[in-house]
Amino acid sequence: MSIMELNGGSVVAMVGKDCVAIASDLRLGNQALSVATNFQKIFPVTDRIYLGLPGLATDVTTLRERFRFRVNMYTIKEEREIEPETFAHLVSSTLYEHRFGPYYIEPVMAGLSKTPSGGVKPFIAATDLIGCLNFAKDFVVAGTASTKLYGVAEGLWEPDLEPEDLFETISQTLLNAVDRDAFSGWGCIVHVITKDKVITRTLKGRMD
Amino acid sequence: MNSFAERFSTTSATAQMRIAQAAAADEEEFDGAMWGSDAGFGSLAKGVPSFSVPAVADPTSFLRLHTDDHADPNCRIKIKHGTTTLAFRFQGGVIVAVDSRATAGSYIASGTVKKVIEINPYLLGTMAGGAADCQYWETYLGMHCRLHELRNRERISVSAASKYLSNLVYGYKGMGLSMGTMICGWDKTGPAVFYVDSDGTRLKGDLFSVGSGSTHAYGVLDQGYRWDLTDEEAQELGRRSIYAAGHRDAYSGNTCNLYHVKEDGWKFIGNYDISQMHYDGPGDVPGAPGGGYGYDIRVEGRNSSNPPAVAAAA
Amino acid sequence: MPNMISLAQPQQRQFNPYTENGGTILAIAGADFSVIAGDTRQSEGYSIQTRYAPKVFRLTDKAVLAVNGFAADGNMFVKKVRQRLEWYRHAHAKDMPLRAIARLIQTMLYARRFFPFYVYNILGGIEEDGTGAVYSFDPVGSYEREACRAAGAAQSLVQPFLDNQIYFKNQTPAPGTSHPVHLPLSTVLALVIDSFTSATERHIEVGDGLEMYVVLSKGSTAFQSLGAIHGIQELTATEDGERVFVIRRELKKD
Repeated sequence: MSIMELNGGSVVAMVGKDCVAIASDLRLGNQALSVATNFQKIFPVTDRIYLGLPGLATDVTTLRERFRFRVNMYTIKEEREIEPETFAHLVSSTLYEHRFGPYYIEPVMAGLSKTPSGGVKPFIAATDLIGCLNFAKDFVVAGTASTKLYGVAEGLWEPDLEPEDLFETISQTLLNAVDRDAFSGWGCIVHVITKDKVITRTLKGRMD
Repeated sequence: MNSFAERFSTTSATAQMRIAQAAAADEEEFDGAMWGSDAGFGSLAKGVPSFSVPAVADPTSFLRLHTDDHADPNCRIKIKHGTTTLAFRFQGGVIVAVDSRATAGSYIASGTVKKVIEINPYLLGTMAGGAADCQYWETYLGMHCRLHELRNRERISVSAASKYLSNLVYGYKGMGLSMGTMICGWDKTGPAVFYVDSDGTRLKGDLFSVGSGSTHAYGVLDQGYRWDLTDEEAQELGRRSIYAAGHRDAYSGNTCNLYHVKEDGWKFIGNYDISQMHYDGPGDVPGAPGGGYGYDIRVEGRNSSNPPAVAAAA
Repeated sequence: MPNMISLAQPQQRQFNPYTENGGTILAIAGADFSVIAGDTRQSEGYSIQTRYAPKVFRLTDKAVLAVNGFAADGNMFVKKVRQRLEWYRHAHAKDMPLRAIARLIQTMLYARRFFPFYVYNILGGIEEDGTGAVYSFDPVGSYEREACRAAGAAQSLVQPFLDNQIYFKNQTPAPGTSHPVHLPLSTVLALVIDSFTSATERHIEVGDGLEMYVVLSKGSTAFQSLGAIHGIQELTATEDGERVFVIRRELKKD
């Protein structure tokens, strides 16, 4: 059994019109045995950046704390909030530090970056477990349901979705993908990040 | 070649087999049956099925190399696995309950598999392990149960049917067949359940569960099982046990198919969505307590994060 | 001879008659029609062997078989099924019913239980009662009648999308309404094309061309909507029975 399938879990992020969304399932398993239905894999980094960490559960916890520490250090040193692009490179270099003994995590991040004109620009990115960055312009996926997520997202996603439509698209993508994955599911959580607020909703998913 | 008299000298099963094998050996790869006059049962028309075997020194290790008998999920030819099935005997007959999920690795290949095989109106077989092995051999068993009826003017006993299957798969022992099945029915002796698997094990018993989710199902089943269960209670126990397995086991789930075998044959009770059972229960069916089976749903307002008022005060 | 001791290590060879040729197949059943589709790329590893190798085959006027997996086994299997269907036609002076073809395929696959055909089959067509049907098989012959099924390299990409769009999984109908049980042919064809363009985008083994077979039951009303489709070709062999059509489309070739 693959170590990425030990605990299960999946994350997806999508770009909308002046907004981004990131969503994950809530399962924590031990191979075939499902253990918890409330295991969060997505964490806020700043008010406008969220980070999803699907993969080995022990590394989810470790990396969450590690990134919290590094972002805090950045904030203190620079006396400003980290930008999504900068954070993506922080994630990448943190993972590459462990090139020959990696964390079994494939991070996905979503955020809004500031433009010089004072507006916001949607930003999503994903990396592999050793930090190779993928800046996609539509959507990124990771976890045990990644192939299923690719298929549904490719069929449902369209450019310039408003926050509520983006919420519907990412929710349908995730719910239907995890229903075909044995190691993901047991409920879902969705965050839609807009200029003014973050909308967080827990979805009622299949419990089998 | 056999003479006409010799060919029809006896109707015993062994003689039939001997004759069929001799006939099969006589014939070329294609005989008249394959030209369509046996309604598509070309390969069965000889009385004994014949199988192509690769021309290698060890056909078994060849098969194991190319198919996943769940030890090696990386093989090309994926044979579907993962299941929860259960059957138990009680005062009112036999309850048979199964899930409907088939997985290939982490991919849920199907959520609508029929894991109860209706051998005939009095006999049911369950499916765990190789889907094709169970489907094929239990259909084949059905043909021979019918032949038994025609020859002996009475229905085959569950014991005899299960032994027929057991002997049949024992003949292929070590060749890579994979099946764990329960043959359930009602005969002269009353309700009966036999566990038969591809190792050749055949066990008579009151209560069995087979598959990756069987431990979860046993937990609920053992706790609620009594001989004097009413029909409604027994059906509810079957449903509830499959729910438990579908909920906790990643390789089981989707829906539960429930059958009840009584003196006048089996009856299909219903198909229940496992997720719906979690949130809302199986619906308005006899025996159901009402409300969802899910832990969070049952303890709503009575758990540590949301305790009842009295407990909070104390 | 100076050295009689051979230092050569014993070598082991394994008989490996299988390879994987990629591609994806898909079938959807409607009320009185059935659509069976497949891409036409045939690959081995990262190489494309050909951009046009059909994976979907007309068996009779009411049955179409899609095969995926190892192309050599697939082609041979289709050949053998067709042979058996022809024998049936000679013996009974009619085409074999769809459910009988399904059982025939099971026995033919299971006859190779110990030397399997490395082929995933999907059989689509019209039942004797005039309804559209899809049967899906595993390589050793377990089968099931379904309404929709994707198989092959991109099955895990396509199937959840179909669950959502055909079965309306995870969708709640607006109050007072309900989801349609059967979709019209035009919707089904649109979904098939979307499924394959999506799979082509994200899977290297899918692309080049798309072949969609449409089987209509006798007197199907879906016939009207077929007239407007460009490049449609009729393959029906017999008069006033079921009708078979094929629609070809290009897919990305990169």
